[in-house]
Amino acid sequence: MAVETDAPVHKLYADLRDNLRQIEADMGKSGDIVLREVSIGTAGRYSMALVYTDGLADKTLINDHILEGLMNEPALVEEAVQNAPSSGSLIQALSRHALAVDSIDPVGDFETLYDRLLSGDAIILMDGQAEGLAAGTRAWKERGVTEPSVESVIRGPREAFSETLRTNTSLIRRRIKDRNLWIETRRIGRLTKTDVAVAYLKNVASEEIVEEVFSRLDRIDIDGILESAYIEEMIQDESVTPFPTVYNTERPDVVAAELLEGKVAILVDGTPIALVVPALFVSFIHASEDYYHRADVSTLVRILRYAGILIALFLPSLYIAITTFHQEMIPTTLLISLAQQREGTPFPAFIEAVTMEVAFEILREAGLRMPRTIGPAVSIVGTLVIGQAAVEAGIVSAAMVIVVSTTAIASFVFPSYSLANAFRMLRFLLMGLAASFGLVGLTVGVFFLIMHLCSLRSFGVPYMSPFAPWKPADQKDALFRLPIRRMFTRPSLIARQNRRRLRHAPRKR
Amino acid sequence: MMNRKLIVMMAALCAALLISGCWNRRELNDIAIVAAIGIDKRENGYLVTIQAVDPGEVASRQSDSGRPPVTTYYATGGSVIEAIRKMTTITPRKPYFAHLRILVIGEEMARSGIADILDVFSRDQEARTDFYIVAANGQEAREVLNVLTPLEKIPAGKMYKSLEVTERSWAPTVAVQLDELLRNLVDKGRDPVLTGIQTWGHESAKSAGTNSDKMDAPLDLKYRGIGVLKGDKLIGWLNLIESKGFSDITNRLQSTVIETDCPSGGKMTLEIIRSRSKIKGRLKDGRPEIDVYTKAEANVAEVSCRMKLMELGSIAELERKAEDVMKSNAEQAVSKAKRLGSDIFGFGEAVHRANPRYWNRVKDDWDKHFKQIPVRLHIHVQIKRVGTVGDSFMLQMKKSSGIMSSP
Repeated sequence: MAVETDAPVHKLYADLRDNLRQIEADMGKSGDIVLREVSIGTAGRYSMALVYTDGLADKTLINDHILEGLMNEPALVEEAVQNAPSSGSLIQALSRHALAVDSIDPVGDFETLYDRLLSGDAIILMDGQAEGLAAGTRAWKERGVTEPSVESVIRGPREAFSETLRTNTSLIRRRIKDRNLWIETRRIGRLTKTDVAVAYLKNVASEEIVEEVFSRLDRIDIDGILESAYIEEMIQDESVTPFPTVYNTERPDVVAAELLEGKVAILVDGTPIALVVPALFVSFIHASEDYYHRADVSTLVRILRYAGILIALFLPSLYIAITTFHQEMIPTTLLISLAQQREGTPFPAFIEAVTMEVAFEILREAGLRMPRTIGPAVSIVGTLVIGQAAVEAGIVSAAMVIVVSTTAIASFVFPSYSLANAFRMLRFLLMGLAASFGLVGLTVGVFFLIMHLCSLRSFGVPYMSPFAPWKPADQKDALFRLPIRRMFTRPSLIARQNRRRLRHAPRKR
Repeated sequence: MMNRKLIVMMAALCAALLISGCWNRRELNDIAIVAAIGIDKRENGYLVTIQAVDPGEVASRQSDSGRPPVTTYYATGGSVIEAIRKMTTITPRKPYFAHLRILVIGEEMARSGIADILDVFSRDQEARTDFYIVAANGQEAREVLNVLTPLEKIPAGKMYKSLEVTERSWAPTVAVQLDELLRNLVDKGRDPVLTGIQTWGHESAKSAGTNSDKMDAPLDLKYRGIGVLKGDKLIGWLNLIESKGFSDITNRLQSTVIETDCPSGGKMTLEIIRSRSKIKGRLKDGRPEIDVYTKAEANVAEVSCRMKLMELGSIAELERKAEDVMKSNAEQAVSKAKRLGSDIFGFGEAVHRANPRYWNRVKDDWDKHFKQIPVRLHIHVQIKRVGTVGDSFMLQMKKSSGIMSSP
């Protein structure tokens, strides 16, 4: 029979030789695709082939449970042969009687075969059977469940997702053991065929949001999905904005908490970063730790975080605006001190600010890629020494260094890196406005910023809730955090059903 | 469609940014911070002196170059603002007035009328209203501004702080800001006052630069006297006692010190810690009358006589004596003001409050009526505390060589 070299949608041949030749032709002579031909049954009268990918399949399972049974117990095979008519076909009978593997699926065409083979399953083909079997033997080396690298906490679980989808879904299942936690998988990416799992609580999440998530996922037509960021970019709302509308995290407890609020989580195989939609502005400012400490401390820390955000965004602009346009607002002694610092400096305040900010950004980027041994040392050297030297050389004023360092430190207050990035860009824009128009410009910039933020939506939910459509009931977890006893409803714009969390409303003592 | 609108909007925004530039933008090293300004009379206008801060000298820990922390510039012009602009021919930077602390008006200038020079300060956008206005007592403003002061690098700062502190704890000075001055100039029922300032010390060491090297500065600035204005012209000065009385009557007295005699000889000083006065006007038989009610609390501050404080009745006696002293101060202030013919206390205002119809009749020649108005003072002093000891240790000292026997 002629061997076809393209369009592997073809059904399997009955002849074993033809099948194997087709496989070889389609996959080339890849060294990690192993073809093992064996003869089973009494006197080895049946020809069988085992195909698996070395590195993706569990060889112990293959050896001890597939080959062992088939090759060393011919009686088992013969029993299967006798039961063949009742099971439908010989290969089905084998599956029922002789293969001691926990999951076996039939394979009818080449596409499914390659799919399963390259996912780590072992393919069993038999001469004379136009159907094969795929045994669930997936196992590979993975990083394992380790501590989170970016989102660490002082108190709380220290498990982070790993790169394997199944591990990640299990981590979520461990936290929500309800049958209403539905996890549906899709395969996205024409060449990468990445497994993407969508998890949600059926009785809590809004149906419209879930439907929207699936419809957006299905619309993706791309050759490869390597990270959840690809998915994020393709499913996020269309607006032109630096602000992230999809939340990402590497912690399963965060995902579980979001699921309980009625959100939908998207897990992507190959990356430990999970996506959560819909994402609100407050999601990026809340940290999971807020719920692991007492309510009063958490409230204060949250307020501190908001203050940090304001500082990180506005401090350089305020400094530039006030010292170049509104000197009357500075107390006289401070003004004289600032004037003295600017005496020898050649550049206007704006240029100074931009230069220092850019220098800091460069240092920060460089610090990310430096080897761990010299990384911290160089960043300390960079900031302290260069900043100090620049001040003493009279290139920048000391006050500017203080402003830039304070801004930089305040910007680390963001629990979420994606939001911090948005603010980094905005800071420069606001500095430009402040340098051109003073506080008036800054106010206009803030005005437009707020307008823009309030106009954003994430999967239909307003981005600034619970602030923008002001929902008094949702305030209990926005700026401050009320004790758990008092948090008896879920966010009203996200969870449309099943609002009540606690059994009884809190009783007054 | 939406995208196009966005692009057009962004383009317009960028164009606006590029076309307009940044007006009003001043770098910190383009401005000369003026801390004090002085105005004197000249033939065809005014002599304006400004005291500008040299930031490099003020803020650094060591003034290494030996330059003084402030520099004075002066120029003459037909109007105040003309003189200031003329000054740019000398100053390296444009003067910046938002941080003005003190306006000093020379005596001659004050005597010929201050109304003309005040308009520019109330009109200009840069000048604020939080600076104090003082008059130079027997001197020109230029002389006052040329003095460097020890302990406080910017002399204007010293003038500012000193005025506030004196008003609060010694009383015979008043810290007058522009809005109050303008109000008093306009109000017919009250005449304005200005505190007097003068240089004090050896005339020989006047030049700037030599002052900050010595510990006991040869030349310094001192507040002395309260200047009385009639209309907008300075007509006279109140001395120390009269100034205290003035402060008392006008409810400006916060804390001061009163010296009285002990009943058995010797002196005793009381510290007033709180004081409130109310002026009540009244019309009796068609004639205006004024009552001033003062309530003050005091502590015994310094005892230089052998008096048994803790005896019953001695405190009450001290209170009476204090009241007498305060009354006498106030009476002297009133009589001086009546002699000068200027109602600096606001008695006219009190009459206006009591009887507006009568006031409308007399307001235009109030000065005449003011000279004859009877003023009754009701002062009540209450001594609250005597400090951390009761009777002075002197009571237990041996009675030796007549230290305390002086009358």
